[in-house]
Amino acid sequence: MAGSGTAPLRDDNPNVLVTVTDLEVEFPVGKGAVVHAVSGISFDVAEGETLGIVGESGCGKSTVAKSIIRLNDIKSGSIDYQGHDLAKLEGEALRKIRPDLQMIFQDPISSLNPRRKIRDVISEGLAVWGDEQGSWSQDRIEELMMAVGIDPKFGDRRAHQFSGGQCQRIGIARALALDPKVMICDEPVSALDVSVQAQVLNLLEDMKQRYGLTLLFISHDLSVVKNVSDRIIVMYLGKACEIGNADELYEHPRHPYTRALLASIPEPAPTVDPSDGDIEGELPSAITPPAGCRFNTRCQHATDICFTEEPQMQRIGDQDHYFACHHPVEVSVSV
Amino acid sequence: MADPQLTVRDLTVRFPTTRGVVEALNGVNIDLEKGQMLGIVGESGSGKSVTAKTLMNLLPRTAEVEGEVFFEGQDVRKLAAEGKEHFWGVEMTMVFQDPMTSLNPVKKCGEQIAETLRYHLGRGKQEALEEAVDLLGQVGLPDPKKRVHQYPHELSGGLRQRVVIAMALACQPSLLIADEPTTAVDVTVQRNLLNLLDKLREERGMSMILITHDLGVARGRCDDVAVMYAGRIIERSATETLFSDSRHPYTDALLRSIPRIDQPSHTRLEPIPGRPPELITPPVQCAYAPRCRFAQPNCLEEIPDVQGVKGMHEFACFHPANTDRGREALATNVAAGKSAAGLAITGYAGGGA
Amino acid sequence: MSDHDPDLEPVHDDAGDVVVAGIDELPDDAVKKTLGWAFWVCLAWLGGLVAVAMLAPFLPIEDPTEFRVGPTNEGPSWSHWFGTDKAGRDVFARAVWGARISLVVGFFAITFGLVVGGTLGMLAGFLRGWVDQVISFIFFAVLSFPALVLAILIVTSVERSLQTVSLTLGVLSVAPVGRLARAQTLVFAEREFVHAARVIGAKNGRILVRELLPNVLIPMGALGLLGMGVAIVAEGGLAFLGLSIAGENAGSLSWGKLINESRSIRDLQNIPHVAFSIIGVMFLTILSLNFAGDRVREYTDVRETAF
Repeated sequence: MAGSGTAPLRDDNPNVLVTVTDLEVEFPVGKGAVVHAVSGISFDVAEGETLGIVGESGCGKSTVAKSIIRLNDIKSGSIDYQGHDLAKLEGEALRKIRPDLQMIFQDPISSLNPRRKIRDVISEGLAVWGDEQGSWSQDRIEELMMAVGIDPKFGDRRAHQFSGGQCQRIGIARALALDPKVMICDEPVSALDVSVQAQVLNLLEDMKQRYGLTLLFISHDLSVVKNVSDRIIVMYLGKACEIGNADELYEHPRHPYTRALLASIPEPAPTVDPSDGDIEGELPSAITPPAGCRFNTRCQHATDICFTEEPQMQRIGDQDHYFACHHPVEVSVSV
Repeated sequence: MADPQLTVRDLTVRFPTTRGVVEALNGVNIDLEKGQMLGIVGESGSGKSVTAKTLMNLLPRTAEVEGEVFFEGQDVRKLAAEGKEHFWGVEMTMVFQDPMTSLNPVKKCGEQIAETLRYHLGRGKQEALEEAVDLLGQVGLPDPKKRVHQYPHELSGGLRQRVVIAMALACQPSLLIADEPTTAVDVTVQRNLLNLLDKLREERGMSMILITHDLGVARGRCDDVAVMYAGRIIERSATETLFSDSRHPYTDALLRSIPRIDQPSHTRLEPIPGRPPELITPPVQCAYAPRCRFAQPNCLEEIPDVQGVKGMHEFACFHPANTDRGREALATNVAAGKSAAGLAITGYAGGGA
Repeated sequence: MSDHDPDLEPVHDDAGDVVVAGIDELPDDAVKKTLGWAFWVCLAWLGGLVAVAMLAPFLPIEDPTEFRVGPTNEGPSWSHWFGTDKAGRDVFARAVWGARISLVVGFFAITFGLVVGGTLGMLAGFLRGWVDQVISFIFFAVLSFPALVLAILIVTSVERSLQTVSLTLGVLSVAPVGRLARAQTLVFAEREFVHAARVIGAKNGRILVRELLPNVLIPMGALGLLGMGVAIVAEGGLAFLGLSIAGENAGSLSWGKLINESRSIRDLQNIPHVAFSIIGVMFLTILSLNFAGDRVREYTDVRETAF
């Protein structure tokens, strides 16, 4: 599986806001061993776009998200944002850029301080940075609360007095308070009930339109990711296997792993054959990942080259569709 | 037609909590034929897990239970009161959601299965262990002779869940209740586990109740699906009927609020406004009415009885979706701009339009 | 709320997703958790004790150091509620004056422990790295040292006053309190709301004070109440070794010393009322502290995660 290669970077696109190049992240696990969480992924996000990152547990999608806002250390690679390399910024320089890049977390209740009033939680960003006037007004807090659908009169309550869906909205309000350019959403609806998920997804879309945001949306749920994203990256064991326009990717998946995912969901996508989902075996260890293509231990199409040479990202014609595989599945391309 | 294998009538369960007495189940009725696969779908607080725990006699002692449960002619509630052993775990068993907490982390996997065999079936120590190896093979665990001596933490989530299934099936139960068995695992693992359950069910002629919040899972695997809301089963029918021709507005709204893989990206979703009710005060109206687009005044005054054809399609609603009554109700609400419960309504395509 | 600025209208979609109030009502805290009547009884005892102790010089009680205010070794009576000791001193008055010292020692010791230990523990748990290693090592070393020996060493090398005894106990409580503070901080520092604060751009100091402290403070406060009881008993232990505050005047009486004076087997047989009345008061006080501490901890327990 690739991830290597910078083919997916759209150098000709003037609207690109964030460019991640050859990102590598490792976590030590004792006795000198490391978990290779992310091993050389390159992609970019254009302004106003929603980029979805999808994959199963251990693929590194959350790590990518957290790396962009430097919630963990980065081994190598660059993250270019408006001329700054986020991977190299430290201390005060890093802190100054933070308001531009905000995050929504997976567990809505634990992402809010249980001891603080939600009014204070939402205004925390403004308290740290102050708005243009050097202080912030309650009006702005009320505006944000109304925008996400929480009545301002409940501002003095604390997180445990709200439901999961409401907590997530409060988290969104907090993130919006700083007028960010980029919002990173790390599994924002995974902890919510099914009927509440739609509320939050719609809200994110509304906020994106209203505030001109660029979203990075991480999820393991293929349907949810397709619904919100313009473009999607599919990850496996620290590598990217396929990147492209959302509709196109689900319509004509080329990588065997993408196809396996689409075939495994309970109501399989009509664009793949159910037998594509017959992958056996277990996820290999991220401490000693397979050589060559990391999917080789479970892929139906694997041949010798898959065990020795890591496939590089390549583009399909001039479409917004890239994959990394020695034996991509041929699909009929609708004209 | 033979008597149903499992009959549940008017099952009501209450718990005292710090917030007051919660009525977790309010008149649940279930009929399950032998060999049938019933899916119970619901969100958190709907009562689906409580139903499973009631059947399996796993409720806390403070719970008050009313109603009847009959399994293959036996009065299950009476058995529970008498403290009958060798029923749960033998004739009726359960698989839980989180394999990490259903398995004892300090006991080897094989030992946990063997324990069941020794206790319920009186097997000898060596015999039980050999049977455990065999069971692990049946649930598709690679290299069962080695795995039998491993601890749960040495296995991945998917494999652990297979061990749990092996434990549940050890005594050849006639009914398996699976409470969100695949929620904690990845989608590729989920597929394999559900395939495994299908295979085992067929091989053994076992009935199954699959509890899940994932409608897709229910659709793909179950003969019948029942939808729970606020402690009641509000709709039940054969699977395809439920998904293509639902009656209860909650089912209808749920189906509309879920993103589907065959929809294009950025399809606008139709969320259900509000939240499920707190179950503290006993209901005097339809529990879903405050969130229902079809709600009419009578929905706020009475609890709808179950109607429809028993065994085919049953639902509890005064103004069901995809019917004329429902369409009329919706039209009334659209014209008024709100439902009888004060929910703002704008016109939308669907619900029987 | 602004006067109909369309930009401030609540957002809702075609599906009538209700946004402000109405259906999205919050759950009332239907049944408020209460502290319970027993809690208030304990608080009343403690409050009363503190009041009596503070007002001791003004209360119409005997001089605690005056000999022969009544017959010696007399049991409790209406004129002497706790009776008299072998020197004819009023035991009740001595108990009251003893409360002043015991409470002060307990309070000061634990406050010192909370402030110093709490700060060190939080810094260790939050900053990790070498700071954590150094502080943890200090804690570990102090805890490995027999507490009693350490207390004796400190107390015998300085003048034995209220200040030094309190400080000694305070120093001894730094390590256990600090370890708890560190453990609590470690737990909370992993919570997403701390990550969120960092993402907002808050500096370490702000995160420590605004995010972590309010959370760590609650279990620490509960521990503080329990710890005060421990400190009072510890002072008693020092008194038994003759290592508590030196002197015989009213300002040097502590419960420990009082018990110590009348704890010989003969005394316990002949004049049990002296020791046991003090023991009784001490018992009720520590019981109240423990119970109140536990109730506070339970009362402030809130649901903290969705999982």
